[in-house]
Amino acid sequence: MGGVLSFAAAPPPPLPPSAADRLPVEDTHKDDQSEKVEKPAGEVDWLNLPCPTSYDELQREAMMSLKPELFEGFRFDFTKPLNTKFSLSHSVYMGALEMPSQSPETFKVPTAHYEFGANFLDPKCMLIGRILTDGRMSARVKYDISENLTMKINAQLTNEAHFSQGMFNFDYKGRDFRAQFQFANNAFYGGNYIQSVSPHLALGGEVFWLGHQRKSGLGLAARYNTDKIIMTGQLASTGLLALSYVHRASEKATFATDFMYNLANREATSSIGYDYLLRQCRLRGKIDSNGTVAAYLEERINLGVNFLLSAELDHWKKDYKFGFGLSVGEF
Amino acid sequence: MKRVLQLETRLPLTLGKNRSFSKFDRVMAPGNSSGSESKRKAMALPGAGSDGVLARLGNTVRQSEVFHKGKRAISNTARFSKKIIWSTGKAAWIAGTTFLVVGLPLLIEIDRDAQLAELEGHQASLLGAPSQPPGLAAMK
Repeated sequence: MGGVLSFAAAPPPPLPPSAADRLPVEDTHKDDQSEKVEKPAGEVDWLNLPCPTSYDELQREAMMSLKPELFEGFRFDFTKPLNTKFSLSHSVYMGALEMPSQSPETFKVPTAHYEFGANFLDPKCMLIGRILTDGRMSARVKYDISENLTMKINAQLTNEAHFSQGMFNFDYKGRDFRAQFQFANNAFYGGNYIQSVSPHLALGGEVFWLGHQRKSGLGLAARYNTDKIIMTGQLASTGLLALSYVHRASEKATFATDFMYNLANREATSSIGYDYLLRQCRLRGKIDSNGTVAAYLEERINLGVNFLLSAELDHWKKDYKFGFGLSVGEF
Repeated sequence: MKRVLQLETRLPLTLGKNRSFSKFDRVMAPGNSSGSESKRKAMALPGAGSDGVLARLGNTVRQSEVFHKGKRAISNTARFSKKIIWSTGKAAWIAGTTFLVVGLPLLIEIDRDAQLAELEGHQASLLGAPSQPPGLAAMK
């Protein structure tokens, strides 16, 4: 669940110098980033570089540890498998919804909803649908068109105007690179590409164009990845710099920290957290530079029965959120 | 001259408590503040001469520079210490609640995990299974 991508094989043994003349073969894969590969070869096997993580999920490990799904109130999730591929899910949530407001104080509105979901999971095809009592609906489709090409669809329908969204992604997974093309409503087009440049380092870039707002942007990213540590850095032309560092101290413990700087409003935030995966529970905790402290505990009471505890303290705003829940049945 | 200025700035604070301020003024700054002296004398007059030795002693103590300095120091210390106590209290509250949320569950869970591992190791040795360190059994 820690989800740290570790390479199955250790870096291959150094090749004889004759490997260097095979480099141009590999270069056909890396059209735009080939200049990054021209490093002194001979120490690593450039032909067997591992496939990098996709651009969207570069910071997934840090996010997993630092951004648990905190909630306030009570929630109950029930998943019932009908057969090996098909399952239904029911979920009830009762709690408070925070209303956005200009004043520093937060307004909370009590809310409750029921969510019904249907999942179809197959190695080649994944269909997930969710519908809420307040009329929101979301659907997710993932379909492997071929071994290397995957199509993903994300859609959200609401009864309010202009909040419905749809997004199509096409992922191409090469041997040591990944490319993605995405388009969404509001004339959003984007593409990204990430390439392994050494057994541990991957570099990537993205371009996007928001047609309705007539905005475009560029992004650059780097990810350094070993069994123990993961370092990522992302820079976007919107003025956002995001750095993250994940350290796997042991089988059970992972520590993560991240730093985010927004040039537009000159705000920097950083947080540090831990993620313990024990036999009976998973516990995540973090401390934020905004004065927020949060912890999220998933305790396994019985097989398939999980007890959730969520706590979030905002010391500066004096906003305290606590939640508990149960989740019965697993996927 | 400087001292007189100091005294005058201090005057509004101490006027109510020190009834015979004029005497002190005369002693400390002869001839310098003659303009305002008569006014102060008039204010200070009732009860100045008619007290006993103890009262006079008390007056001289109250009028001395050391007394004022001390009093000011005490009131400052009181104010600062109040502030410090309040802020340390707040810091302690933040640290304590932070520990309750982030630290305590971790300690409890790690302890529970260790206990569970111990129990499993114990059971494994009872059943006669090949003895295995509990940590390895946990990893699977």
